[in-house]
Order: sequence, then C-alpha cells, then structure tokens
Amino acid sequence: MKSDKKEVKKVSPQVSHRRAKLTLWQKLNRQSTAGFVCVFPFTFGFFAFTLIPVIMSLYYSFTIFDTLSAPKFIGLQNYITLFSNDARFLKSLGVTFFFTFTSVPLRLVFALFVAMILVKATKISAIYRAVYYLPSIIGGSVAVAILWKRMFATDGVLNTILNSFFGLFGIDSSFDYAWLGSTNTAIWTLVILAVWQFGSSMLIFLSAIKQIPTSYYEAADVDGTSKYRQFFSITLPLLTPTVFFNLIMQMINGFLAFTQCYIITQGKPLDSTLFYTVYMYEKSFKDYAMGYGSAMAWIMLIIIGVITLLLFKTKKFWVVGEGEQ
Amino acid sequence: MKKKIALLFVGVMAAFSLMACSDSRETGSADGSKTTTEAESSAADGTTEAAKTSSTGEAVTLRISWWGNQLRNERTDAMLKAYTAENSNVTFKNEFTEWDSYWDKLATQTAGNELPDIIQMDYKYLAQYANNGLLADLSPYIEDGTLDLSAASEDIVAAGSVDGKVQALCIGVNAPALVYNKAIAEEAGVTIKDNMTMDEFVEVSKTIYEKTGVQTNIAYGNGDNFIEYFARSAGYVLFEEGQLGTPDDSVFLDFFHMYKQAIEEGWHVDPSLFVEITPGSIETDPLVSGKSWAFFAYSNQISAISSAAPDLDYGITTWPADNAKAANYLKPGQFFSISTGCENIEEAVKVLNFVTNSVEANEILLAERGIPISSVVAEEIKPLIAEADQAAFGYVNNVVTENSSPVNPASAEGSGEIQALLNSLVEEVCYGQKTPEAAAAEIFTKGNEILASKVAE
Amino acid sequence: MKKKKTIGRIIYHVLVSAFGFLMVYPLLWMVMSSFKESNTIFRTASSLIPEKFTFANYATGWRGFTGITFATFFKNSMVISVIATIGSVFSSAIVAYGFTRSKFKGRGFLFTCMLVSMMLPFQVIMIPQFIWFKQLGWVGTYLPLIAPYFFGQGFFIFMIMGFMEGIPTELDEAAKIDGCSYYGIFGRIMLPLIVPSMVTAGIFSFMWRWDDFLAALLYISDPVKYPISIALKLFSDPGSTSDYGAMFAMATVSIVPAVLIFIFFQKYLVDGIANTGLKG
Repeated sequence: MKSDKKEVKKVSPQVSHRRAKLTLWQKLNRQSTAGFVCVFPFTFGFFAFTLIPVIMSLYYSFTIFDTLSAPKFIGLQNYITLFSNDARFLKSLGVTFFFTFTSVPLRLVFALFVAMILVKATKISAIYRAVYYLPSIIGGSVAVAILWKRMFATDGVLNTILNSFFGLFGIDSSFDYAWLGSTNTAIWTLVILAVWQFGSSMLIFLSAIKQIPTSYYEAADVDGTSKYRQFFSITLPLLTPTVFFNLIMQMINGFLAFTQCYIITQGKPLDSTLFYTVYMYEKSFKDYAMGYGSAMAWIMLIIIGVITLLLFKTKKFWVVGEGEQ
Repeated sequence: MKKKIALLFVGVMAAFSLMACSDSRETGSADGSKTTTEAESSAADGTTEAAKTSSTGEAVTLRISWWGNQLRNERTDAMLKAYTAENSNVTFKNEFTEWDSYWDKLATQTAGNELPDIIQMDYKYLAQYANNGLLADLSPYIEDGTLDLSAASEDIVAAGSVDGKVQALCIGVNAPALVYNKAIAEEAGVTIKDNMTMDEFVEVSKTIYEKTGVQTNIAYGNGDNFIEYFARSAGYVLFEEGQLGTPDDSVFLDFFHMYKQAIEEGWHVDPSLFVEITPGSIETDPLVSGKSWAFFAYSNQISAISSAAPDLDYGITTWPADNAKAANYLKPGQFFSISTGCENIEEAVKVLNFVTNSVEANEILLAERGIPISSVVAEEIKPLIAEADQAAFGYVNNVVTENSSPVNPASAEGSGEIQALLNSLVEEVCYGQKTPEAAAAEIFTKGNEILASKVAE
Repeated sequence: MKKKKTIGRIIYHVLVSAFGFLMVYPLLWMVMSSFKESNTIFRTASSLIPEKFTFANYATGWRGFTGITFATFFKNSMVISVIATIGSVFSSAIVAYGFTRSKFKGRGFLFTCMLVSMMLPFQVIMIPQFIWFKQLGWVGTYLPLIAPYFFGQGFFIFMIMGFMEGIPTELDEAAKIDGCSYYGIFGRIMLPLIVPSMVTAGIFSFMWRWDDFLAALLYISDPVKYPISIALKLFSDPGSTSDYGAMFAMATVSIVPAVLIFIFFQKYLVDGIANTGLKG
C-alpha cells in the first residue's frame, strides 16, 4: 500500500519532466540513485579494504602457506584433512556451538530483563545502569582472566562462598570442586563470563525501548492494562526488530569468540573449552599452517552464513517491522 | 550540573593529552644528559670499542625488534643510546612488544616483506626463519673479526648456526635449573644434591610428600623442555631433520609412566591446578604459591622467582637425569639475528659486536637476558648484578659448565607442533584419558609424520 | 498500600544492588589490586583490601617504557578512538539510510556483502590485509586503524537499520511534500530520531577502538605511537618478571574514558519523553 503511494508520486514529476532533461540534482535525488549514493561509502570501503584480503584468504585456503615463504597450491586437501583426520577440529566445532547456543539466549534474556528494570530516568537507575554495563568495559583484559581463574579455583572465591553457605546449614564441607580443571564444568565458566558481560546487549535494548513512543504506554494506562501485560503486548512486539538484530550479532560474535578462551583457558582442560577461532589461530600462527587456518575460517563463514540465512527466513514470522525489507 | 561534568570530562582528557605533548620534549633532554655521562664513563673504562668503530659519515637507521618487559625495554634502549653516542651516524628505531604478540607480528611482517634489521630470535623459531632464508649469515663477519667472538665458547656460538652458517648470535646464556624450597626440604629431612638421578628425584618427592604433604610439579605444561632433556639423558637428540631421534617410543613410555605413577601415588600436583594459573607466568607457579617444592626453571628466571617470592629460601640444583653429563646443557637464552633484507648488514654486525664485547653495554644490560657469552665481560659485570642473578651465575659456571654437553641444534620445523602435542598427551595421561602406552605410541607415530611432512614441503 | 510499595521498593533495591555488586566485583578487584604491592597480588587474591596500600604501581606504570610515559599512550588511543568513532558512526548512519529507505540495483548484493564482512574472523584476513596495506604504503601509520572506519562498519549499519525500520515512512512522505530532498529527509527527520542508536554506536565504537590491539600491533612499530591497548600488554611478559601491579594500575586508568563517556551519554538513551515527530 505504501509502496504504491510512492510509485504514484514518482510518475507525475517524471512525466512532466520528460520533455526537459533531468538536472544532476534531480537525478541524484531519485530514490534509487540517492540510495546508491548513500550506500556508496560502504561499497567503496568494501572494495578497497575488504574484498581483496577476503579473496586472498580464500585462495590461501587452497594452499600450504607457512607465512614465511610463498604459498603452494594443493587444491582441496586442507578441507579434506579437516573433515577426515582432525578430531580437534570437530571438538572445537562442538564446543563453539555449545558455547554459542547457551550464552547467547542467556545473554539476551538477562539484557532485556535488566533493561526493562533499569529504564527509568532516575539518578539511582543511572548508577545501576553504569554498574551493570561496567563488566563489558573491561572485556578482554588480562585482569579479568586472572580474576576469573581466581574465582573458580579449587581454593577460590566461589568455593569459599559455597562452603560458608553449606556451613550455615550445619553441613561441614571442604568443598573443593575444580570448576576450571574439570572437563564438564570448565566451559560453563566461559559461558558465565560471556553472560556476565551482557551490558552491551542491554545498552542496545535500552535505546530501542526509548524509541517506543510513550503515547502507547499512556494509552494502555488509560485502558487500565497491567504493566505486565503492557510488556508483552507493547514492548516486546515493538522490540522484535532489535531482538532480531541482537540475536544475529550475538550469534556471529558467539561463533567467532576468541578472547575469553585465549586469555583464560587456552582450550584446556583436554580441549573442553577450545573455541573454534582459537584452534584456527593456533594452526595458523603457532603451527605455521596459514592455509589450513584459512580453510577453517571459510568453513566457519559458511556455517554462520547458513544460520543467518535461516534466521532471516524466519524474520517474517515473528519480527514486527514497519519499513520495507 | 551536566555542563560541569562535561567540562570536567573534557578537561581531564585535555590534561592527559597535554601531559603527553610536554613529556616528549622532556625525555629528549633527560636522555641526552644520561648518554653524555655514559659516554664519558666509557672513555674512562678504556674499552676499545670507541677506537674500533669509526663513523663512516653516512647516516644509518637500524630497526631493531625485541620482546620484553619494562625492565628489559629500558635497559636495551639505554644500551642502544650508548651505542649511538659513540657512533653518531647510527640511530635506532626500537620495536618492542611482549612474547605472545611478538611472533604473530614477525610472521605478518615476513609475509609483507617488512622484517626489522636486527631481530631478537628464540631457539624455538630459529630453524623456521633460517630455513626460509630470512636471516643473514654471520660467519664471514666472525671470520674477519668484525664480530669478535674469541671470548665466547665455541659450543654456544655453534648453537646459533643452521646448516653450518651462523645465523643467530647468542646474547645470553642460561641453563636448566631446578629451583626448590629449602625450608620444605629441610622439614622433610631430605638433602638435595646436584645431579640427582630420576630415581633419587622420585624418592625425594615421595618423602617430601609423606613428611610434609607438599607435592611436586614435574614441569607440567612445560614438558616440552623436559622431554628433550630426558631424551638426552638416554642418549638421543629428540628432533632431527625429518624424523624423531629416538628409534622407538621407549623414551616416551618412560616419560608418561613417570607422570602416571606420580599422579596415582598422589605426590604430583593435581593437573586441574594448571588451568587455574597463568601459563608461563612465574608469579603463579606452584613453587611460588607453595603447592610444589620444586620448579623446573631456567637460570635466567631465578631473579624473577626471587622477586615473586621474596620470603622463599630457595636452592638451585640440576634437573634430575640418569646421565647428568649427557643431559645437561648451556642454552642460548635468546639471540639477535640480522634479516637478509637489511641494507646495512655490516653496521648491524657492529652493533652485535658491541652487545657481545662491550663491558659498558653489559653494565647497562646487567645480564637481564642471561649470562653474557664473552667470559671477559661476564667476569667484569659479575660484581655489579643483583644477588639472585649472582646465584644464577654461580650455578651456571660452577655446576653446569663442567658437567654438560653441547646443546641440541636448533629445533627443526614442526617441533613446535610436536611439543604442543606432547603437553596435551601429558594432560590426557594425567586425567586418566589415555594410557602411557597409547600416548607414547601416538607421539612416536605423529612426531615422525609431522617432521617428515615438513621436509617434504 | 504504602507499606507494600515501600517493601517492594526495598526488595528491588536490595536485589539490584546485590547483583550489581557481583557484576562489579571483578572490576573492584582489579582496582584494589592496583593499590597492592605487585608481588603480593596473587598471594592475597581473595581479599579485596590491600595489606599495604600503595600508589607505587601508578608511578611505575605511568613511567611507561623507554621514556615514553602513559600520557603518550593515552593521547594516541584518544586520537585513534575519537576520530574513528566519529567516522564510523556517521558513515554507518548514512549507509543504513540508503539500505533501509530505498531500492536500487545491487542492494541485495551489497547487503549480503555487508553481512559477510562481519562473519570472517579477523585473524584470517589479517595477513592479506597487511600485505595490501603495505602496497598502499600505510604500514607504520595510523591510517589502517582509522580510515576503514569512515566507510561504514557492518555492525553499526545493521544496528541503525533496525532502528530506522521502526520509524514510520509517513514522516518521510510528509517531509517530501514539504519539498525536502532525499538527503534532507536524512538530515532533518532521520538523524534526530536515531540519536539513541547513534549514541549507542558511538559508545561501542569508542570502546572497541580503544581496546583493539591486534591492528595496532601489526601496523604500529614505533613505540611512541603505541595505543594503550598495546602498552598494557607490555607489562606482562611471561619470560621475565611481570609487573601485574603496574598493569592493573594502568588498566584502571585506561577504563576511565569509557566509563566517563558512558555516564555522560547515558541520558541520551533513557531520559525524557520519546519524541517521535508525529506531533509535528
């Protein structure tokens, strides 16, 4: 309906101008050209800075390349080896999938929940918001790595707290579970780290919530709808584009996660926390097998691409949007 | 109120940035005065360097890269400035980072043909860079005396050669050193003697565990260094060109058995501890935290250990080995190499000569990278260095030098991968996921495969 | 009735601040550790309060390396982050506008390119990109760290697109009737309405540029030009002594800008009544 309106509008000026030549400005102002012009910075940047390196990395994936000498073409050998003879590749894929599919939903839920709670414009809320966002600021620093290890160590903070908690009930325990050292739980310490840093998602939700016109809420208040219902009927549906965006971005970030694993566990114990990109980095730079690493990168690209495509396909089922797509 | 915060914010940022501007001017003058006094003192010292090096008049800028911490950065920079004071035509562009990033950056620079002129090099990577023709051959300069290595041991000089050509100059010697907690040993009533055999070491560890409850860390996570030592004791050089130096997997079997036994008998530190510490960092090592009575370290780490644990009364002895003389070695801690792309190789060689033979240079460096290779220089600076370093000196000179054999040649390409595999196999054995037999078989097969594939390339 | 509300409020505050303390504990730990003597940090890791309170770490840390103090590193990071952020936010907004509000040939293709550019791990294009930048003669300068951001950044383009889609097209049409050009619509209608998302993008961009060390590592070799992200790493070299105290001290200093920016710009994210423009 709306697009029809636009077409109708376009026809009349064009018809009347068919006799005179269109000025440059009018040409630039056509919706299609203007769009192209606006997107041009990206186009230029992409072709100038990204395209060539991306194509080169694709080429490397078909070679043996130790960075110190020229690449040697070997066709699909890297890919074949990856799928047929590399247990660590499959393990890291599994770990990364697990990490992504646990940390991303948890993060989004926490982010939305806390954003809703802290959306008021009071000074105290401002302090709370800063406090909840702070973990994201110290992101991948060595300090976090050291501290995280201290927290989950056998004689660390978590166990100490649990011990005193049990003590409250009269249970005398010397609980010294090795959260980091056990293959079952080590990955969870990384998941918790990722969720702890939900501040960035929270920020995005906050700005999206702000954009919802308060008139909607006012109208609902007049109708007597409970705050609870307002959330589900007004806020949530209007936030679905943001949820969609956050979901895609967090998913991509989850699959490409590197720093948490690299600075805290390096994949130990027994590769139970080996992120895909960390393994790829090890192969490329520690084992000097850049070609192999490039192949790994492209496989991950395809995986992420497929999942993103699937998510886009589901978009029309649950995302409320007013603009065209 | 908001405006005030905004102003405050802008003010703080501006203040920091302004401090930066003024401070670069200050450094210029401060450093200038420092170097003049050093130049004066060097003249008094009577080193022959000033006479030897003559300014050719042509201005040369050398890019030099190294990895290190605050201390090393400052000392190296001061030394380079001392060189410039005597050879005004040579200036340096320093490029320093820390260990982890260093190799990524070097590899990327290589791919882009941007290698620095003088590169700090490590034994683990030497073969890789040398075999790709990236390092200049220093042998002609040694022969004609530009690089005077007469006061250095031949073995150490040979350690830096690949394919018969010296491609890296050792700038600091160290040796394997078992640093241990004297107090705990005394409490358990054991005497630690030099050149223990493996059995004696196991006995001592068990006794200590029984009497004091303190466990042992047998180079866990650092096994890649210990395995070569272990193999040397059995008479083998672990990494050869294209294959492993061991004829079968028996050396590995013994190695893995040792760990398995230690874990089962309870006297080895729990492997899960190692995920909780920062790998490679001395500050979190079990010796420092009191969880292990010994640390399989190197002599140039002793001063770091003593500052991380100032209350520790430590002793230094050799790593255990059945055949001490075959196993022990003097190791080049690190090297300086010159890249083949350097346009002023002769000037760069002169700098290396300065680092090696100038007493003044080493008075600035103070053995921070290890013991100077020139015995003359080492003697001169000995009284000047810190107590912990002196202990290291004493250990290397008195205990090791007499009872050791030449270090293994620079590890072949692919050795890094095998070492990583070894560490993960040790982990699997300790966690009970693999039997020592399976692990030994695996590393023997894979090790040979990896080394062979690198030669085939 | 009132009692219920107050109890409700008390519970709210207790829970939120308790949880908030958990959130902030690691940061608190780092800041407190920076006041401890370096070699006691690990031994006293479980207690927040230092045995011996000291400012020495700040002095040592600030001294920096080879005469280059942290003031220089700070300034470098500021320059890089601010310029890149301005470029990134505005260019991303314009590009997002083009993608959302128009159809043109190749739009789908370019949109896919944009998504793909976000999906490749940096480690893998880092070497080809280095070779390419070397050809351009940009190695050793700040250009690789700043210039690419002036051409839109996938993440922000995508995010701002999401916000723009939520703005009704009636506004565009109203403006067009008033004689506004396509670009004018962007300037007068869109820009004011997407301020929250641009602020968010700005905060993120600043933080990411500030923390980014891989690009700086590869392209900057002269220590005088190092940003803080690299300088911080220099404190911990596994081969020799690591000065964790100094590192934590400088890390604390280093997060100050991000925190200040967040506190200052927060109000654009939540304050006041949302203005949709429908009234006008």
